[in-house]
Amino acid sequence: MSLATLTPAKPPLDRAVRPAREEVYTIGNLLKVFGEDKPYVALKNVDLTIESGEFVCLLGASGCGKSTLLNLLAGFDKPSGGQLLYRGKPIAGPGKERVMFFQDANAALLPWQTVQQNVEFGLKLQGLPAGERRARAEECLTLVNLAEHRHKVPSEISGGMRQRLQIARALAVQPDVFLMDEPFAALDAITRRRMHEALLEVWEREKRTIVFVTHDIMEALTLADRIAVMSVGPGSRIAHVVEVDRPRPRVPGDPELGRIYAQLERLLHGPAGEEAGR
Amino acid sequence: MTASHAPSPAYRGRRAMPGPGPGAPTVVPRRLTAAQRAVARRVAYVMASFALAFVGWYLISHYVAGPFLIPPPLAVLKAFGPMSESGQLYSDIGMSLSRVAVGYTAGVSVGLLVGLLMGRIKSLHDLLDPMVQITRFLSPTAMIPIVVIWFGIGETAKYALVFWGTVSLVLINTIAGVLRTPQIRQNAALCLGASEAQIFRLIVLPSAVPFIVIGMRLALASAFVSIIPAELLAADSGLGYLLQQSSLLLQTDRIFVALVTICLVGFLTDQVFHWTTTILLRRYLAVPS
Ligand SMILES: Nc1ncnc2c1ncn2[C@@H]1O[C@H](COP(=O)(O)OP(=O)(O)O)[C@@H](O)[C@H]1O
Ligand SMILES: [Mg+2]
Repeated sequence: MSLATLTPAKPPLDRAVRPAREEVYTIGNLLKVFGEDKPYVALKNVDLTIESGEFVCLLGASGCGKSTLLNLLAGFDKPSGGQLLYRGKPIAGPGKERVMFFQDANAALLPWQTVQQNVEFGLKLQGLPAGERRARAEECLTLVNLAEHRHKVPSEISGGMRQRLQIARALAVQPDVFLMDEPFAALDAITRRRMHEALLEVWEREKRTIVFVTHDIMEALTLADRIAVMSVGPGSRIAHVVEVDRPRPRVPGDPELGRIYAQLERLLHGPAGEEAGR
Repeated sequence: MTASHAPSPAYRGRRAMPGPGPGAPTVVPRRLTAAQRAVARRVAYVMASFALAFVGWYLISHYVAGPFLIPPPLAVLKAFGPMSESGQLYSDIGMSLSRVAVGYTAGVSVGLLVGLLMGRIKSLHDLLDPMVQITRFLSPTAMIPIVVIWFGIGETAKYALVFWGTVSLVLINTIAGVLRTPQIRQNAALCLGASEAQIFRLIVLPSAVPFIVIGMRLALASAFVSIIPAELLAADSGLGYLLQQSSLLLQTDRIFVALVTICLVGFLTDQVFHWTTTILLRRYLAVPS
């Protein structure tokens, strides 16, 4: 029994208002092998289902294949075997319903365009008229508190702001899924915390599905509905899926969170985790 | 009371200094900003460099080589007078510049176009790159004999030689710029729904601008380096021809006028290029990628 059921009041808001869930990603027995002469089996027997509106964290040690899996979900790369479906269909390539969000904002953004133009970029690609573009960009920039910086270029704003700009740019094209690859790992602790709050706020308003890669247990606990723990490679798979059925904002003193933390720690670092990896 | 509340010794000292009497105008020395100081320092060093060059030139002319082998600055200035008045010098400058302009434009156009294609299409790159790498070692000077046989000694030959001196520099740098476009930036654009053509036009091209500009600037210098030998060996006008004629007549002062002119024209052209691109392409150049 989880502690959430003991707290007498209503269930967490985000669960109460969420519409009926659909399967966004169906991953079964997924295999990914790199190279031909000296093949490296990065992923093997990966099983996971991700539902609409869910916040899922992929947690695992460095080099275990988190980015590899996320790239497959985005469509940047193709699986070597097994099943990978997005809303019931195989993934042909990247598309604007599945927007990837990168750690290196300098590389991901367009440094020669203003904050506003960066947000409008995806809309311009769709051929939206200028007025509509501006309105939508304004809305998204306001959502991440960047509206007053819209005339600056990315090099003139801070690292945290650049990541919020990436969020705004992704929001503008109204994607179905956010794919985030250790987006805040390069930020200082205080900024990272603010980013968590900003992201959760956006997620709670917009009800997007988020797949968030991290190697940081605390980060996963702060954010996720479910945490998929990956075993170490080669032949990495999803060894465990841990539900975090706790209200947000998550506070460090929550004993149930402490228990999950210990469990994740064991899974990641303990001998049991190693065992689970094989 | 803490120490910070007490007037510091320095403060007391300043107060104690004999200042201007009451009513006297206080002159506040205007402090330069850091940027102004940096510019001033740079200008000072450039002037010092030129002064040093002139002094060295004069000393070597006077004490080492003698005024015939190395005419002193003043003699060169004297030779410049009539050359300038007759207009001959300027028509030579004009001829050389027009050859540079045509050859350079052709070299940049071809280098840019082929470089963009080679950067984007791997099989084309792998097919053409060996040719580029191997022919790079043929300087424009090495090409003069065959180019003269192909095109005669007319203008086409000069254009061809300047073209040869510029195209590979632009080509190689353009390819580098295209290949160095962050994959992440292209992937991000793919996610936002960009087509292959849109990625090329809106992501790769702007990302490659800093490299392309470097290639064009190197090529501009190379164009000046290329045109002189071409005019030395096969021309009846231009700065190279002026050098050649002065040499035949042992007019070392005129040779020095021509040499200084080449330096100045090249330098000024480079500066114009540099500041034009810096201003027009500021957004694309100030990029930490
Ligand atoms: N393109 C590739 N070719 C060969 N091996 C790769 C490639 N991409 C990743 N790998 C290997 O796959 C493993 C997982 O990499 P990655 O997904 O980047 O790990 P993570 O993101 O969890 O740190 C690593 O051992 C890495 O060396
Ligand atoms: Mg990674």
